[in-house]
Amino acid sequence: MSKALIDLEDIETWFPYKKTLTGKVTAWVKAVDGVTLKIFTGECLGLVGESGCGKSTLGRTILKLAPLKSGNLRFNGEEIQHLDDRGFQKFRPKMQMVFQDPRASLNPKMTVLQILSEALAICPEVDKKQYAKRATELMNMVDLRPEHLFRYPHEFSGGQQQRICIARALATQPEFLVFDEATSALDVSVQAQIINLMADLQKRLGLTYLFISHDLSIMEHICHRVAVMYAGRIMEIQDAHALFASPRHPYTKALRNAVPIADPTQKDGMAILKGEVPSLRSPPGGCRFHPRCPHATGHCRKEAPEVSPVKPGNWVRCHHHKDLWKRGTLGG
Amino acid sequence: MDMPSKTQQTPILGVEDLTVSFEGSRGVIKILEGIDFTLYSGEVLALVGETGCGKSVTAKSLLDLIPQFSRHRSGRVAFGGKDLLNLSSRELGRVRGRSIAMIFQNPQSSINPVFTLGEQMYRLIRMYLQNEIDVLCKQKKMNKKAAVHEIAQEKLAEVGLTEANRLLKSYAHEISGGMAQRYKIALALLSSPKILIADEATSALDVTVQAHVLKLLKEMSQKKGTAILFITHDLGIAAQICERVAVMYSGRIVEIGKTIDIFEEPLHPYTQGLLAAVPRLGNSDPLRFVSGMIPDLANPPQGCRFHPRCDHRMAVCSNQRPHYNAKDRDRSVACHLYTSKAAG
Repeated sequence: MSKALIDLEDIETWFPYKKTLTGKVTAWVKAVDGVTLKIFTGECLGLVGESGCGKSTLGRTILKLAPLKSGNLRFNGEEIQHLDDRGFQKFRPKMQMVFQDPRASLNPKMTVLQILSEALAICPEVDKKQYAKRATELMNMVDLRPEHLFRYPHEFSGGQQQRICIARALATQPEFLVFDEATSALDVSVQAQIINLMADLQKRLGLTYLFISHDLSIMEHICHRVAVMYAGRIMEIQDAHALFASPRHPYTKALRNAVPIADPTQKDGMAILKGEVPSLRSPPGGCRFHPRCPHATGHCRKEAPEVSPVKPGNWVRCHHHKDLWKRGTLGG
Repeated sequence: MDMPSKTQQTPILGVEDLTVSFEGSRGVIKILEGIDFTLYSGEVLALVGETGCGKSVTAKSLLDLIPQFSRHRSGRVAFGGKDLLNLSSRELGRVRGRSIAMIFQNPQSSINPVFTLGEQMYRLIRMYLQNEIDVLCKQKKMNKKAAVHEIAQEKLAEVGLTEANRLLKSYAHEISGGMAQRYKIALALLSSPKILIADEATSALDVTVQAHVLKLLKEMSQKKGTAILFITHDLGIAAQICERVAVMYSGRIVEIGKTIDIFEEPLHPYTQGLLAAVPRLGNSDPLRFVSGMIPDLANPPQGCRFHPRCDHRMAVCSNQRPHYNAKDRDRSVACHLYTSKAAG
């Protein structure tokens, strides 16, 4: 296996929720609570989970857009968790992000050329005179026409706007890209185009992706491995095809079964997972999933399960996964 | 055009040649151009299509919820022996919510934030269920207020909201999206409407919560015989809960038929493209898609509006609008590819 480009060790991102008069924080929202994860060079790692499970916060933490409380964050082997904004500046061009709503993440008062130039300005190696040339290259890369450079964001459709966002992220020649629900706001046929473009760019430029989404069905089309997050923790991480064909965690199975399948002959889908997503202010003790898990036992209530490896790069966090696997409960 | 699949099904809403346009700064924007469909009692009909194809406008114009300024419309919406398009706003007010209820995409923003959920629900109960309140008052010798509360509890339990006491005291921001949408469904069903229009009702919810809400809607429709017009862009939902599917493209229904037929053998080239673009579990091939973009509604293509993006276009497509060709009793498609077959 290739080396880890991003190496997370016991990452905790907590947000203050209650403070005393003296400013001492008495209660925290534990959005990301002990995540250990490696993202290998050239891979696309998917991150799925329900809203409020902390998946976006994890993505933002890696780019230092959210406050890291503790843990180690390594990029290409270099520790970056202690860096302040100024210190992190030299890493910024190498790590970029594409957001969910392209309309909201493009400045309406700037032309596409200005938007791309703004990103190019943080790359010291690009000369100002080359901005137009480089911007044209970027437009070609994302299958937009160079004459579009002089238009404003509102003149584009949602899919084209997302292409501009991708072009802007690529402007700094990054090694690592975070896509935070980048295709969720798009229609299926536009989404298909963007997914194909992303997969194509990854192959051509050798990029590493973290692809955050709540939509499981697109994961397999682009991701190599997929991590399933629940209430601030990663429950399972497996190769994409293995995860959906044979999930090892009961939550993954529940999530997969809730997806409406676009095939009227398969009506067994949409099994119901009881209960609500736990509040991150006071997550349940023991295994975070136990109140909703059909297989929970007393052991699950008391003790949080440790990571148990399945094969290199694949692991699951469940007390009973071997048992469930043997009995074929989670099945194909 | 489309016939009931079972003979006992009765048409409840008939939409004929519904056309809606707006006059804007760029000229007349033709949003809907001849929508035809029939909704039968007790069925769930999906209206699917991409952003901007006019599916929400269709739903909203049935109850005239679109801004009336500079709006032109024609056609017929037959409901209960009347044409909804000809009703005065007062008469329409009696249909809205009472016979035809609607639930919207974002539940939290369609609940009034300054009143508790209870206050909003009690008001509707007093409006629609006066008889039940009286009966309950007599039977259990309770005052009206307690009777209203009991009905509220019962109706919330029907949609799977068990903590009614706490919920009725909360405000919209204090409850989760899934709870809010279930509460809205409970409100919509208070008047026992004949038709429920769900406009992207589960698009803002997580898959697990969405599964809950969809199952609930399906059960309600089966139990009470409410017809549901389910507007969605998610073909998975259409496949799972709807009996029939109508596919919209640029202001027209291009194909309508039984769900199973549409998915197994899509006839219209647009439906074929749309289905091919759906990502599926257990498949990692590159996704296919329909090339090109949705047309500009101020200046739509002549003839079939899909012809610039269509792989099967013929000369006739660019100058003549295709009529509906009924393939069999349940199925019709607006495409010239099938014109000759239907004629012959």
